[in-house]
Amino acid sequence: MIKLNVSKSLDSVEGKINLRLNLQIEKGQFVTIYGESGAGKTSTLRMLAGLLQPDDGEVYVDNEVWFNKQNNIDRAPQKRKVAYVFQDYALFPHLTVKGNLEFAQTTKDTAYLEELILKMELGELINRKPATLSGGQKQRVALARALAQKPEILLLDEPLAALDIKIRLKLQEYLRQIHQEYNLTTILISHDLGEIIKLSDRVFVLEKGQIIKSGSPTEVFVDQQISGKFKFTGEVTKIEKQEVVYIVTVLIDQNVVKVIAQETEINNLKIGDKVMVASKAFNPLIYKIDE
Amino acid sequence: MNRFSGKISKIEVNGSLSLVTVAASERITIKTIIIETPETAAYLKIGNTIQVLFKETEVVLGLNQKQAISLQNRINGTIIQIEKGALLSKVVIDTEIGSLVSVVSTEAIKELNLEENQEVIAMIKLNEIMLSE
Amino acid sequence: MDWAPIILTFKLALVTTVILLLLSIPLSYWLSISKSRFKPVIETLVSMPLVLPPTVLGFYFLLAFSPGNSFGVWLNEWLGLKLVFSFTGLVLASVIYSLPFMVHPIQSGLESLSTTLSEAAYVMGKTKSQTLFQVLLPNIKPSILTGIVLAFAHTVGEFGVVLMIGGNIPGQTKVASIAIYDEVEAMNYGAANFYSIVLLVITFSILLTVYLVNGGYLKRFWK
Repeated sequence: MIKLNVSKSLDSVEGKINLRLNLQIEKGQFVTIYGESGAGKTSTLRMLAGLLQPDDGEVYVDNEVWFNKQNNIDRAPQKRKVAYVFQDYALFPHLTVKGNLEFAQTTKDTAYLEELILKMELGELINRKPATLSGGQKQRVALARALAQKPEILLLDEPLAALDIKIRLKLQEYLRQIHQEYNLTTILISHDLGEIIKLSDRVFVLEKGQIIKSGSPTEVFVDQQISGKFKFTGEVTKIEKQEVVYIVTVLIDQNVVKVIAQETEINNLKIGDKVMVASKAFNPLIYKIDE
Repeated sequence: MNRFSGKISKIEVNGSLSLVTVAASERITIKTIIIETPETAAYLKIGNTIQVLFKETEVVLGLNQKQAISLQNRINGTIIQIEKGALLSKVVIDTEIGSLVSVVSTEAIKELNLEENQEVIAMIKLNEIMLSE
Repeated sequence: MDWAPIILTFKLALVTTVILLLLSIPLSYWLSISKSRFKPVIETLVSMPLVLPPTVLGFYFLLAFSPGNSFGVWLNEWLGLKLVFSFTGLVLASVIYSLPFMVHPIQSGLESLSTTLSEAAYVMGKTKSQTLFQVLLPNIKPSILTGIVLAFAHTVGEFGVVLMIGGNIPGQTKVASIAIYDEVEAMNYGAANFYSIVLLVITFSILLTVYLVNGGYLKRFWK
């Protein structure tokens, strides 16, 4: 359990903001911090990692004090058992992929490294330098390197933002797997609603340094709770009228789906809007695909 | 999407399925089957006000009250408007609980001789109805 | 021909460069991360030799280290250091004189690295010095090489400081640049020419190496 109750005044591009956070994260949860740039998302992660000192407050993790202003406790980042995937990946340019992974290990564990290399499909890359890798490959290495530390808490600062949709989807799958498999508490910064809904148990919405909303992704992002179990979020790409109905084309991940709608439903809908498509679990047919 | 508000009057649970009866008015009840139970969904409480949602295309129209059909959700009303397309038509029905829209084939309209001011029964399958807070 | 001044020059440059390297790494590191109020003062002091006439520096060294004043006497009595007109004094003066040539490239190299590199290493449990030696320095090899070469070449070329504090003692403080001056004074143009050509060729080669390496031509061999 992470208890973060801190304040920090920050100089952002849009002027001074006062970051005032009070949040609790259960062990093993996948949590997303969502908000505009300059809202204090990265600073939140940095304060948790010990890379940024709060002005006041306290941080407890599993009842251990990591930071306490009053008692002057500030545990060094080296001793916090967190792994941090930076926005720019921060791979060490002078080391090979393998060298990067090995460097992250406090105690050598070759079998575990082999496992990570296999899992993240890095086998062909291990002797390459970061400069020769593509964005998606770098991201996989950064993720594997973070896991090589065997952290208890994994901090991800918009790790997938710069990648194209196909690689993003694949890496989202990796994230979900490793979160479950390694029993991590994962904190992700993300802008992508689909990603958030797919991955996280809980969302904190940050605005100008304050948490204005929190809850499960559907609680936070969908105004209504709906009982339909066949639910996806996507983006409207086309709206066309056919006879007495409208056909709305929605891009969900990489799939284009079409939904029949009435005028009342499309009234405030425009192309590019994020939507939730819901149906009852009773309706879809299911087919096995022969591979 | 057709949307009506009502109060939950009955919840029958079996495993992870619930058969929920919603009273939209004194005479009209709408039943739905959902994969939720009062334990998994907080809104499942007797007396709770809830929205019933179903698609226009899932509304079946009938003329005779005595028809032997498995559809239990039946709402009586009067047709107030028919908008015909080549293949599909939109039928607006005035009911005790408000306007209800059905989209059926234009051919069916012809076959049943449906016209404005006619009394009809709108029917919806149990599994086509969603609940929303 | 007397090779002693040439050999002495390179001995001085070598010793100076080694000391400078050891001194500049922590100093540059501190300058690259420090937010101290004293940082601008230190930076100014480091850069002074760039603009100050070498004779000014030499003059004050001479005054400070002279056995005629108490500091010079203290040095001599307590540390056994005789800095005026000695090789040790020459090394000390050269270290200060060439300091910016070593510090500046290393400092700007360190500053060009993303701070997330250090932070990533800290989160991995590495101490600051582990991070410096295992992450930062290996990634600024070209800057370090530039610093080494510039400091070396600059020491080879110094004259004013050496003249003031070192004098002209053969085998001790008579470096090539002094020897050239000496030979010209004595109208021995042939000898002056010899020293000059040797210095010219060597410094040219050294600088060329720097440009080649940092231009990327030698990068693959260096790495």
